[in-house]
Amino acid sequence: MNRIIKFYHECGSPPSFYRITGHWLRPMFWLALTLSIYGLIDGLFLAPEDYQQGDSYRIIFVHVPAAWMSLFIYAIIGIAGIMTFVWRMKVAEAVMMASVPIGALFTAVTLLTGMLWGKPMWGTYWDWDARMTSELILLFLYIGVFGIYAAYDEDPRKAARLASLVAIIGLVNLPIIRYSVEWWTSIHQGSSISLMEGSTGIRDWDMLRPLLVMALATKFYFIYSMLSRARIYLLRTEKQKQWVQKAVLGAQPSGGAS
Amino acid sequence: MQFWSLMKRDVLVAWRKKSNLYQPLVFQLLIVTMFPLGLGAGAQTLSKIAPAVVWILALLSTLITLENIFKDDYEDGSLDVYVLSGMSLSLAALSKATAHWITTGIPVVLFAPVIGMLLHLPGHAYGILMLSLLLATPIFSLLGTVGSALIMNIKNGGMLLSVLVMPLLAPVLIFGAGAVLETTLGNTAMNHLLLLLGCTVLSVTLAPLAAAAAVRINLE
Repeated sequence: MNRIIKFYHECGSPPSFYRITGHWLRPMFWLALTLSIYGLIDGLFLAPEDYQQGDSYRIIFVHVPAAWMSLFIYAIIGIAGIMTFVWRMKVAEAVMMASVPIGALFTAVTLLTGMLWGKPMWGTYWDWDARMTSELILLFLYIGVFGIYAAYDEDPRKAARLASLVAIIGLVNLPIIRYSVEWWTSIHQGSSISLMEGSTGIRDWDMLRPLLVMALATKFYFIYSMLSRARIYLLRTEKQKQWVQKAVLGAQPSGGAS
Repeated sequence: MQFWSLMKRDVLVAWRKKSNLYQPLVFQLLIVTMFPLGLGAGAQTLSKIAPAVVWILALLSTLITLENIFKDDYEDGSLDVYVLSGMSLSLAALSKATAHWITTGIPVVLFAPVIGMLLHLPGHAYGILMLSLLLATPIFSLLGTVGSALIMNIKNGGMLLSVLVMPLLAPVLIFGAGAVLETTLGNTAMNHLLLLLGCTVLSVTLAPLAAAAAVRINLE
């Protein structure tokens, strides 16, 4: 137990965070790459055809994991935002701002793959149904968090605190937005995965496996990408500190040459 | 006490500069003219889109007034005076939102029937239209106060303000315009109105806190 608490406190300090996460980057990257190659091959070639949608259902192996990530990352941003706002933790700031572009990217991927799937299935790229609309609004929320941060470029710490406030407001509103939008009649199919009997979801293990593998792969990609960005964010905001100069200059073998 | 004096001051400032008062209404009148010109003047077409258009116009015309709720006070230093006076910032935010509602929200509510009439909104929907706007305009002002507090330090923050506030107003638009639409279709608007009321209560409770937090971050 004490080790966990110690680890937690270590992660709160930028130099130890930088040092510890440095060891994680490579394994996370390779895990993400291997899993997504396996998941894509399994999903796009090996998994059986759907009896109704044929081959075009296969886009869900990208679409659904991306959609999960778009919400998951917003939750991370919200939690990191609360930590930034209440405790002014620099590492939480870094995690929050590092997650924003990744989350926005996953949201955009969700929307794009959904549109590509919608054309053959619904006969239209875009339809104002509940989930597409709330996903689009989620993208606006991401843009809002990023926009306020970008607008305060002269003081990054203040900018991060304002961005954390925007993220928290968004987190409070997200359920309201989601349920209000749900009220429209929807032509979107129900959830793809459901363990309940008699539902119309995926029950075939051969289809489920690549989906879960892809879900894991996106998680590892997120951790890899977020940590790399957070590390650079910390280097930039702490650039006058000694540990940064040691970490950056110490890594170069010939020192003063560059 | 401070709540009332601050509110009275803001209302007075808006009253002295009359353009603040009629700017949203002129905006609505200008835009509503575009609809028949673009869509054709058929009464049936217009009355079908009337609930949505009246509502969106109310929303947009409020949106253009939001930027200055805090900006002027921030720039001329009166915001620092509020903080130094020891006044609760949440209360100050609530008071500014109330003043904004009195000078913008109430005119918009009163003007909505005119816009509705120009678009051939069916006669029995006017009551619900005004009621729904009466519940929603405080939300516009309150969330606008939050947005304005967030961007008061930014030059040309209007676009950013819209990006920040628009997603939060989406539920309000759904419930509000939905209430009017249901009425024109002959259904009850009660569900929508109650949900709208819920949004009003929620924003009265939470928005001043968020606005105060934003002011505090900006001033430190």
